[in-house]
Amino acid sequence: MSAEAAARRRRRRRRRARRRPDGWTERHVRRLFWRAGFGATPREAAHWARRGKAATIRWLLNGGPVPVPRIPPARTEDGPLDPLNEWSHDALWWLHRMVSSPRPLQEKLTLFWHDHFATTDQDTPMMLAQNRTLRRHALGDFPVLLREVTTDPAMLLHLSLANSDPEAPNENFARELMELYTLARGYSERDIREAARALTGFRADWNDDGSVRTFYDREYHDAGRKRIFGKRGRFDWRDVLALCVRHPAHAPFIVEKLWDFFVGTPIPRGTRNALARSYRRSGHRIKPVVGAILAQDALYRRLDEPTMVKAPVVFLAGALRSIGQGVERDSWGWLLQGMGQQLFRPPSVAGWEWGSAWLSSNSMHIRFDTANYLLDTPKLRVADESTPEGLSPARAVARAKRAVGEPWTSRATDAELMRIARRLLDDREKLPGGGWRQDKQTRADMCQRVLRQLLLCGPDAQVH
Amino acid sequence: MSRHRACDDFHRSSERWTAGGSRPRAPAAPGRWLGGGALTRRQVLGAGLGAGLALYGARAMPAERVFEAAAAEAAAAPDAPVLVSVFLPGGVDLLDTLVPLHDYGRYADLHPKLKIAGLPLGGALFGVHPSLAQGLGGGVKGLFERGKIGFLPGIDYANPDLSHFHSRHFWETGLITADAAPGWLGRWLDRAGGRDNPLQGLSMGWGLSPVMRSARAPAAAVSSPGDARFWIRDVWGEPYDEAMTAYGRLGRTRAGSHALKTSRTAARLAKGVADRLEPYRERDGVGPLASTIAYPAESDFGERLRYLAAMIQQPLGIRVADVEMRGDFDTHDNQEELGPLLAEVSQCLAAFQADLEARGVSQRVLTFVWSEFGRRPEENDTGTDHGAGGLAWVQGDRALPGVHSEYPSLSQLDDDDNLRVTIDFRRVYSSLLEQWLGTDASAVIPRSQGFGRVQLIR
Repeated sequence: MSAEAAARRRRRRRRRARRRPDGWTERHVRRLFWRAGFGATPREAAHWARRGKAATIRWLLNGGPVPVPRIPPARTEDGPLDPLNEWSHDALWWLHRMVSSPRPLQEKLTLFWHDHFATTDQDTPMMLAQNRTLRRHALGDFPVLLREVTTDPAMLLHLSLANSDPEAPNENFARELMELYTLARGYSERDIREAARALTGFRADWNDDGSVRTFYDREYHDAGRKRIFGKRGRFDWRDVLALCVRHPAHAPFIVEKLWDFFVGTPIPRGTRNALARSYRRSGHRIKPVVGAILAQDALYRRLDEPTMVKAPVVFLAGALRSIGQGVERDSWGWLLQGMGQQLFRPPSVAGWEWGSAWLSSNSMHIRFDTANYLLDTPKLRVADESTPEGLSPARAVARAKRAVGEPWTSRATDAELMRIARRLLDDREKLPGGGWRQDKQTRADMCQRVLRQLLLCGPDAQVH
Repeated sequence: MSRHRACDDFHRSSERWTAGGSRPRAPAAPGRWLGGGALTRRQVLGAGLGAGLALYGARAMPAERVFEAAAAEAAAAPDAPVLVSVFLPGGVDLLDTLVPLHDYGRYADLHPKLKIAGLPLGGALFGVHPSLAQGLGGGVKGLFERGKIGFLPGIDYANPDLSHFHSRHFWETGLITADAAPGWLGRWLDRAGGRDNPLQGLSMGWGLSPVMRSARAPAAAVSSPGDARFWIRDVWGEPYDEAMTAYGRLGRTRAGSHALKTSRTAARLAKGVADRLEPYRERDGVGPLASTIAYPAESDFGERLRYLAAMIQQPLGIRVADVEMRGDFDTHDNQEELGPLLAEVSQCLAAFQADLEARGVSQRVLTFVWSEFGRRPEENDTGTDHGAGGLAWVQGDRALPGVHSEYPSLSQLDDDDNLRVTIDFRRVYSSLLEQWLGTDASAVIPRSQGFGRVQLIR
């Protein structure tokens, strides 16, 4: 396409956007980017507000040339990341990807699938390989994703599918396949046992260096007749996956789980049925159903006030992204652990518990500590004597907000920040109880630190 | 051969962080990745940063008055009995833990590869896994032989559900229902507990265990009581005070969406806890909660028990508490890991008992150890699948020693080739409620009369 034609197309699109009464604003963009990614920078919010709803969702689904924030490459105090050998560097590597990716939705869905197919405690190379698989198919076809996950070495070992003995099949994977991955209801103990038989045949060999090789060997497959969900046949593992995906409970189950992840409010029955129908008709494709969910009005309710609790990694990746800072230290590893979300180590086969459960008084405290480390990054650090003296309270608050990427704040927070600024920036020299106050410059610097701290870890910062 | 774990158990809310050093691991081959295991000291300290007490209650918690309320409860009933629930997640295999020496031939047929040469046990027909002899005074074996343990082999419920989630939920709630419900100890708190003291029901961990969830009564979770102070980098004095005042005030702001209210409440409680735990702060590694008993190093489970023993001694009004072992007994394909896990259980529980004795509170503490189900008696080559008829035990100075249920037959299995259940866990719950906590069981366990009772206390 010539530059002229492109310009014409852009103008046409802009005109359409002006005509379209979709009422799309920066607030919509911010909500959508938090839910479908890790927050929007001020620049992104302005850009996508101009482009309109459909274009924004289309970009999230498909990617394309964009104004994503420029983030310096990941490193720690000691040098580049070493995900294979250093504790928590695998999580840091992924965290950095979340912060810097030009495909935030793909990254967010990779997190969703990591939680959905929760695998833990396998060797790092295998976990990273699984992570690549999840990312590749994050917006692809569910049956393909399920097939790839089933044959994924980390999963084969985690749920004991490898070396499941046809004489005494291991039911571990079969059970979670139905309970957690595809159905949640509509099957019996017998279905599990029969599926476990059909799923036999996977093997694992350990080499002398500790590495493992997984493969399929018909010799170890129970080729007999099975009965699953009332159907009979000499089923093998592919048949079991197909039976689960075609089971009537599957589409509503996966639709509802995606809805809960993005929207947070209960899904209306009619919406669930409609989404399930179109998911089935699409041949169980993930991208269209996610696109349909992101377009739902329910996602944009109460734009004046966020309605979902940020998961720890979303909280941290979002904060880093909004200040334009990549991973530059390894502290994020244990801070994420303390906040309750260690990537590559979900606490159980059911993944993490999302929502209010993230916010105990303990984890809230560690979110507070996390802000201390955010304030110690090059982009946010307030050096001594770096704050102009004589800023008005309002300008001091505005300066802090700009530094942390103009986050949403409630009126209560605004009032508290102003109160702090007014009290710390006045001219009194003595404390009410007697004694000298810190000098004005020190107070100006500390005021800036305190305002940024509260913007980063106060109650408002925990919700999106 | 394989060192991986099977289906990791469901830690719905209680467990948030993994003390990597606490779980024994197979040695790694040279050149193999060694991460994920032991944390460095710096990392452990870091993870403990900001840890404290989490408060839960249906109504607004008087966080500022927690310790006053606790002291009042404790003063009103200084000798009140304490029930400690210890959960071993994943489904502990009965046969390899309490080894059926009385039917060893049949046992060896069922476990041709896995079978354990159990240690004979004075006072019982079955023996124990050698790991259960580890720890102070001979560990769990020693405790049994000194008359401080009553075993309950074959415990479960009729037609057991072999899903971790379902079965665990039943044990946690004391109800065979898929519906959400408060935990059985939470219901006891609702019935018999106070309205002001959240420490009456204490989960040792990062969040409240489902066992302890109540409808009305306040309860609490504690991880690291000695370390709960807030700090802000390069800020002190007046600006620090202003910031913490603002943080506390934001926490008390009432309006907002549900998510925002949750977040504000968390801020308020975090601040209240930090203020109140100040007297327990460790300085240079020494604090009012130190113990004279050596617990196993590197065991997160042991550390929780150590904190719990110390807190029981304080005038905090603790009545029920729960500790979940950070481990995984779900040995589908790694039954060899049972040994190290049981060793940790044995060492930690023996230290806990010794600690309670040293602190002079062992007369009023009873510990109930349980797992969500047993495992299929016939092994699957490298491990065992989910089954019925597990095990539990009561332990303490006042526990009735001996064996209080029939060891399930190894030759007469149920229709699913599982062990037959010989005692319903609700019979045990009902008995604990009445004999130890002095509460009418039918107020906590529906239709409890139908389960009968078993004597567990002397």
